[in-house]
Amino acid sequence: MALELHVWGPAFGLDSIDPECLGAIACFRHFVPREDWTLIASNDAAVSPDYHLPALNHGGTWTSGYANIVSYLTGCGRLSIDDDLTPLQKADSLAYATFLATRGAGLVATSLYVSPSAWVDVTRPAYSSLLRFPLTWTVPPAIRAAAIDKAAHLGVVHLAAEVDAEASSSSSSSQSLAETTSTGFLRLRERLGPSRALQPEHAAAIRLQHLAEDFCSVLDEALGAKRFFLRDGDEPSSFDFLAYGYLQLMRVRTPHPILKTALEKSYPRLVAFLGELRRSCGRATQEDDLVWQEPAAPRGVLGVIGRFAEGSLEAVPGVGDSWARWRRGGVGDSSSRGGDDESAKDPSQLIVAVGGAVVSSVAAALGAVALFRALPLLGASTHRFEPARDKTGLRQFGEIGSILEGLPVWEQANGFPPR
Amino acid sequence: MEVEMSSETPRAPNARPSGAPGWVAIPAPLARLFKKFPLLTYPPNELPARSPSARDVATLYVFISNEDALRGLPSFNPSCLKWQAFLKLSGIDFRVVSSNNHASPSGALPFLIPPSSANAPSVCTPIASNKLEDYAAQHGTSNVPAAPDFKQETYESFLSYQIRNAWLYALYLSRPNSALLSQLYITPVSASRVVRTTILYQLRHAAETEILKSMGVPAVNSDALYRGAKEAFGALSAVLGSGDWFFGDASPSLFDATVFSYTHLLLDDSLAWEDRALTDIVKRFPNLVQHRDRILQICWGSKT
Repeated sequence: MALELHVWGPAFGLDSIDPECLGAIACFRHFVPREDWTLIASNDAAVSPDYHLPALNHGGTWTSGYANIVSYLTGCGRLSIDDDLTPLQKADSLAYATFLATRGAGLVATSLYVSPSAWVDVTRPAYSSLLRFPLTWTVPPAIRAAAIDKAAHLGVVHLAAEVDAEASSSSSSSQSLAETTSTGFLRLRERLGPSRALQPEHAAAIRLQHLAEDFCSVLDEALGAKRFFLRDGDEPSSFDFLAYGYLQLMRVRTPHPILKTALEKSYPRLVAFLGELRRSCGRATQEDDLVWQEPAAPRGVLGVIGRFAEGSLEAVPGVGDSWARWRRGGVGDSSSRGGDDESAKDPSQLIVAVGGAVVSSVAAALGAVALFRALPLLGASTHRFEPARDKTGLRQFGEIGSILEGLPVWEQANGFPPR
Repeated sequence: MEVEMSSETPRAPNARPSGAPGWVAIPAPLARLFKKFPLLTYPPNELPARSPSARDVATLYVFISNEDALRGLPSFNPSCLKWQAFLKLSGIDFRVVSSNNHASPSGALPFLIPPSSANAPSVCTPIASNKLEDYAAQHGTSNVPAAPDFKQETYESFLSYQIRNAWLYALYLSRPNSALLSQLYITPVSASRVVRTTILYQLRHAAETEILKSMGVPAVNSDALYRGAKEAFGALSAVLGSGDWFFGDASPSLFDATVFSYTHLLLDDSLAWEDRALTDIVKRFPNLVQHRDRILQICWGSKT
């Protein structure tokens, strides 16, 4: 049975936009005979039941995630890449892979997704070229939101956002020469101490630089003087391809190429490793171009619209969360432990989602009706003409008068003058 | 008296010494009346019963039950237990106090209030957990190996990724462990059923969001989480080998304390785990169990 590898498509001159997919493609090129597998840029995590790419379809058996795919293929006997590792090397390999999944993924997300300028200039256009039309409105923002969550533990999310805000505002303000205050006076330049003179962009750059160097130095020491991460022999192990995926994405040129500079300036051994792996990939396959296959069942217009509707629903605040959770299985528990009372798809979440959707759509409809009724015809302001009220007694003195008119004391005083 | 008063009154405005040279002079009778206050001075209130009694000892605020806090037993929260064990290993004299997130200046437990001496009362600024390592290096007696090498840094990601996520699932989301969860985190908070239900829901939701966020997957899959934890504990066991402490150190380090914080809570018999999947995983690696026993012996004697 042929192996189908479903991945995110090519971008930035690399084979894939996602580090794990990049690693999986490189690993397949190197170790699996060309005629045994097909590469499909499905660009849709929903093809796999786990909603995660890369995904391997082997005669209806789906496996997703790089590590799972490697262990599945090893189990099938198709891959013997990590077989001769010692237990200690296996432990190291797993530790390095976890390190990539936490720190490396956070750094890649920060540089490509979190930074607004990189997102606008580089990453979002890349997704636009991968996806079909209406999906470009729903899929990339969802991916970005997930990436921001993933990078949150690095603590540079707000800084990265500030970097770009600062950069754009400073470029716009430098055009107008004399800044004035709101009252029209010239604004004097504030004298800043060293700590206040440090702009947020500098602070963010310093912090990111520090994180990037931390990350690279760990990998650099792990690589050492060896040819590959775990052994010095000819053959790379599965971790080498994963590292290749992450490091290649860190070398993508973004508007603030902090990661790229840190990696290429200070860690020549890592860069040499990337070249080494690339060369050995090319030697193994004898060719450098991949054959991409169209998704087996190209989705029609209806399918695309369905995915679009799903994506839109997930983006509705308050509702999307429960809907996505119900749609994708919620808290899964294995049937062996959890028992039958706890099915994977908890119907209460569906009720919450549907109820939330109904409530919010009704609220939106009511709001629209109220707004429509409040709007005057064709936007003209309303004039109302009224006959003049009777202006007798104290009322003729305007508002004060009418207040005083209401007081009972005055009523009495007017009606029954003291004798 | 009368005479004095009548002679004083006319020149009171200009003869007022230094009190209040305002435009309104207080009439003398009123001034004399006011001078009689306070009529009675009460003795100062006693401090609340929960306020620190001995300020010459550092105080670590952790998640713990009040009875256990008095006996200085281990906390039931992994990140609190990590620092509690680490401070004990560093030879710092401190006592633990039961607390919760809302009491912490940073919003997270644990935090430490250093001992204050009479001549320098300003030293009692709380120390958040990320500064505790420095504090231990300055004030500790025994030398805890510092300077993590690259290997330790990569292995730390097991603890913050696979093991932490599996822990979150096992304690918060696994239904059989609901009783334990409510005993640890919910019952002490409130007696009201409504409040308890809300807190349970909030805790579960937060745990689920945390897992999804860090794993980057759309659904929580318990099998995958437990499989990941098993691989991670396996790798830790392999790297520990037959040594006493991780990475061949001569004495336990912060990494040892972090591993201990999870293995101890999973192996502790006083916690009523119903879903024992994680416990069984740890028990499969005898050297991790012995490692936990060693630290328990050093920090808490033979108490289990």
